[in-house]
Amino acid sequence: MRSRLRRSISQGAILDILFLNTTRVFAFLVFISLFGVMITLLMASMPTLEKFGLSFLTSDAWNPVTQEFGGLVPIYGTLVTSAIAMLIAVPVSFGIALFITELCPTLLKRPLGIAVELLAGIPSIIYGMWGLFVFAPFFADHAQPWINDHLGSLPVVGPLFQGPPMGIGMLTAGLILAIMVIPFIASVMRDVFEIVPPLLKESAYGLGATTWEVVWHVVLPYTKVGVIGGIMLGLGRALGETMAVTFVIGNAHELSTSLLMPGNTISSALANEFTEAVGELYTSSLITLGMLLFVITFIVLALAKILLIRLTAREGKTT
Amino acid sequence: MVELHLAKPHDIHPEDFQGTQMNTPNKLLVRELNFYYGKFHALKNINLGIPSKKVTAFIGPSGCGKSTLLRTFNRMYQLYPGQRAEGEILLDGRNILDKKEDLNLLRAKVGMVFQKPTPFPMSIYDNIAFGVKLYERLSKSEMDDRVEWALKKAALWNEVKDKLDQNGTSLSGGQQQRLCIARGIAVKPEVLLLDEPCSALDPISTARIEELVHELKHDYTIVIVTHNMQQAARVSDYTAYMYLGELIEMGDTDTMFTKPTRKETEDYITGKFG
Repeated sequence: MRSRLRRSISQGAILDILFLNTTRVFAFLVFISLFGVMITLLMASMPTLEKFGLSFLTSDAWNPVTQEFGGLVPIYGTLVTSAIAMLIAVPVSFGIALFITELCPTLLKRPLGIAVELLAGIPSIIYGMWGLFVFAPFFADHAQPWINDHLGSLPVVGPLFQGPPMGIGMLTAGLILAIMVIPFIASVMRDVFEIVPPLLKESAYGLGATTWEVVWHVVLPYTKVGVIGGIMLGLGRALGETMAVTFVIGNAHELSTSLLMPGNTISSALANEFTEAVGELYTSSLITLGMLLFVITFIVLALAKILLIRLTAREGKTT
Repeated sequence: MVELHLAKPHDIHPEDFQGTQMNTPNKLLVRELNFYYGKFHALKNINLGIPSKKVTAFIGPSGCGKSTLLRTFNRMYQLYPGQRAEGEILLDGRNILDKKEDLNLLRAKVGMVFQKPTPFPMSIYDNIAFGVKLYERLSKSEMDDRVEWALKKAALWNEVKDKLDQNGTSLSGGQQQRLCIARGIAVKPEVLLLDEPCSALDPISTARIEELVHELKHDYTIVIVTHNMQQAARVSDYTAYMYLGELIEMGDTDTMFTKPTRKETEDYITGKFG
């Protein structure tokens, strides 16, 4: 009796050790793959970095014939299209989430929630095709002339909105991206708004606050970590989105002030050119672009973290 | 009793008001109030008066409708579709259930404190200033004064005066609840609704809140829901006993706890039931 007990104890201990080590190996796979990717990217971009150095970041040249490469155009395109997307997607998603959680009649709640999630599930190539065949012609015929007439003549920002109404271009890409990331941001925001304790909201309503005041001063600060996480998820997707952007951005390695002009993003350049990249330097430059996308994403995440820390500090110390 | 008749003599039936010993004016007068959660009939034909600048306690077993009744006084139920009230609740003679009554102004007059402390995710100072800013435009120094005044009223000033910039959630549970009371009185309401304010607190914090209720009744009409009968006996001037959505009996607290007129009340108070 006693010996059997002892055996079962030692068996349990072995199982525990086994379990610990197995999970530890799985967890360390995260580090391994991260470092693997980083090292691969760095090594493959060495030829470019050796040749151009930091000027790769500031040069807008992209000439496979003369073997001159610079990342400015795709970096600019990536940042601008993502910025346009976030500028539109964040307020719209906030509105959607706010309506679903606070204002919507119960009957509509589920259908709306499901619709948002279905939207998130549409493959990006479908957005791209829709953007190219439906949205871009419509945009060229109906929206761009208006933009040219009304926004193009404004001081300071005017030059951003001047250009031929082609339909495709950076603005179109930004808009398509916005449509694509809205379901992501909206569903995360809805989820986090829903975990706000009803009592907390009731206390704010109980003071006589309006829905807007409750959401702005209580719900949003309470859920800020989740909201910023949702926005980052959307931004990550916008920065890296390939297929839909490649369809509608025009893929031109040209730097232009106008948002109506075609441009390029890092991922669309990669998707378009990898098959035709001949020579070590060309391939290496594309890989360097990929690495820069990685770096940009990292910086964005870091900025989000800093923003979060500063927001928390503004609410008062916690100890 | 006298005041009850003054309100609208022709359709009030004195026998509906069990609290017949009352001779203070009523701040709130509830008349033939029925409340529904969807199809569930939660409050059945409630008639009662809440005396001005006194503490009135609602007692009764869980699910008897005491919190529901409290939540009709600031129409909190309106946040939830499917919940509705029928009848009249007169606040100083005006029917607050009337759709035309401004909900936000009503809630400025009728403050509420909840079962659990609910500090907003902001600094202690801003927790108090939040409600005030909804109604008044005060200069920085006026706001400072108001915050100090409210915190002093809630007997919290001495504990937090050096850390007003700290987050409200950094306080202890009892302090948080007093912060919520301070937040409620900062907007200078006339009625203060306390929905089991001590149910999440330790005995010492509970005692402090009860002391506070004693202090506050000089300025405010207070309605407190409690499942703790000793607490009702300690803090209230009047007590209403509810059971299954009906008001069984209401009267001054001493009488209610020593010689209640209804058998049901006696059974509940003596612990035979509930």
